[in-house]
Amino acid sequence: MSISRVFIANRGEIAVRIIRACRAAGVECVLGVSAADQNGLGAELADRAVVLGPAPARDSYLNLPLIVHAAAATGCDALHPGYGFLSECAELAALCEENEINFIGPRPETIDLLGDKLQAREQAKQAGLARVPGSAALAGADAARAAAAEIGYPVVMKASAGGGGRGMFVARDPGSIERSFKRASTEALASFGDGTLYMEAYVENARHVEVQVMGDGAGKVVHFGARDCSVQRRYQKVVEEAPATALTPRAHAQVLEQALALAGHLNYRNAGTVEFLYDLARDALYFIEVNARIQVEHPVSEEISGADLVRRQIEIAAGDGLDISQSEIKLTGHAIECRINAEDPAKKFRPSPGRITTWRPPEVEGVRLDSHCREGDLVPPYYDSLIGKLIVRGKDRLSTITRMGKALQDFEIGGIASNIPLQRKIMAHPDFAANTFNTRWLEMTLLPQFENAEG
Amino acid sequence: MTIENKDIEAFIRLFEHSDWNELRLEVDGLQMVLSNDPAAKAIVETGAEMPHPAAIASQPAPAPASSAAPVATLASAAPAENTDGLIAIRAPNLGTFYRSPNPGEASYVEIGQEIGADSEVCLIEVMKLFTPVRAGVSGRIARICVQDGSMVEFDAPLFYVEPGAE
Repeated sequence: MSISRVFIANRGEIAVRIIRACRAAGVECVLGVSAADQNGLGAELADRAVVLGPAPARDSYLNLPLIVHAAAATGCDALHPGYGFLSECAELAALCEENEINFIGPRPETIDLLGDKLQAREQAKQAGLARVPGSAALAGADAARAAAAEIGYPVVMKASAGGGGRGMFVARDPGSIERSFKRASTEALASFGDGTLYMEAYVENARHVEVQVMGDGAGKVVHFGARDCSVQRRYQKVVEEAPATALTPRAHAQVLEQALALAGHLNYRNAGTVEFLYDLARDALYFIEVNARIQVEHPVSEEISGADLVRRQIEIAAGDGLDISQSEIKLTGHAIECRINAEDPAKKFRPSPGRITTWRPPEVEGVRLDSHCREGDLVPPYYDSLIGKLIVRGKDRLSTITRMGKALQDFEIGGIASNIPLQRKIMAHPDFAANTFNTRWLEMTLLPQFENAEG
Repeated sequence: MTIENKDIEAFIRLFEHSDWNELRLEVDGLQMVLSNDPAAKAIVETGAEMPHPAAIASQPAPAPASSAAPVATLASAAPAENTDGLIAIRAPNLGTFYRSPNPGEASYVEIGQEIGADSEVCLIEVMKLFTPVRAGVSGRIARICVQDGSMVEFDAPLFYVEPGAE
């Protein structure tokens, strides 16, 4: 098995990232774009770009048959789904297989299994991972109240078909169960087409820690270290770093070991991320979910390991296996990624699509910018607001924070609002430097300060 | 397979010495139509007007140069042509373009044909799902831009229509 031409079923910075990985792997690439993206950097860099359909994602990036048709019609023998859109759609992986297109990702069965969060919890249990105390599927608000009484408040209700923080609602007492249940199930139904909910204990003082794993699908699994993604707003990651330095050495060893145990149990193929909550008060790790795709924040793992993870994804799909052993993966230094979004933190994070009139990335040593944006480009209003990822590497956490602060200071974007002012505040904050924050810190501590300062 | 001038000349000789009324040949995007009927219509896929294929004796090479040009399948690759006053019927999404409802059947439309806004003019196939495309404009088919069975991208012109005088 080998690959000669990859169809890229995504847009934005990850499309550009995949194009570069294709170049590195020596394979051609075809990018499927919407009409809104046909003049973008990705379309320019790819060996060929084809316009799938109009701007709305459901008529282009989310149209499964259209994408497979385009891949086949352009002679592609592999497909990279990126993240978001159809990346964790088992049906896409299966349809690719049926049409003799190598899906660059996990097997369809694995995607299916992990996409159902209750089944994923079961797999984690089988692999011996500790889980947050939780329930089975909840039949209704009464069942939710009963489950909460057993688990203990506060609890969080999650969509079993969900992930990525959508459809999640916290209840702090029996009186708020009904409302949280309704909201969570309505959002789950709207977002995922399935309103099934389950419940977990809500760990208030926690860090979000995750492990980058990769498997060859033939039993071999390795990890590329842990990441800490605890700076979050509405369960969306804002800053990510590697390694995860807030964990005790025991917990750090344990998180890597548990991630490998689960990946091994699943006979995992290609790239994935095993996510955990780290309970700071109890020094305890709990499994949350597995993301069966390459993630937005993969570059911080690349920066500390020296690996090209996307290229490795292509190689695994090409049948080249995983020609690296765990002992050969050396993790050194520290890396931080700041997500640069076209949104205005001073205006309740209102999206700010529009024409980029100034785009001056920082020229600081050890800085990497993964982006599809150029001066003069239009940020279309149809998709998510990520316009770039600023990644900085350094010898340790504190020097990396300093370097990121400088890089953010030098990053100039005009014509549209961005969250750079907020990212500067995060890097400059003593809590961030002291590493004494949790997943609620951004919303509970920093944002109120930021809003007061801006207001 | 490449077609050279001598091959075309050989076809013409073959046709001249036969009792055939018409010969249509299609190889790698090249199309040749030889006919004894002065009113015969050539299939003009590229949109370029083809010299009349009649009277073969006076036309040793019936326009291979124009019809052999690579068939435009992409919006951006459409030949620079005068489309003044013509209205394009465009692809609603990426897919495979088919001129007839079923293989071997007559095409939905031919050049010169009068169509109404509701007329079906072609099929666009996506993973075996065939969706008819309606003209959306009434008038006369002036050009056919895409070769049968080739991939078209979203918004690519499929036909040009000379709008009806209303």
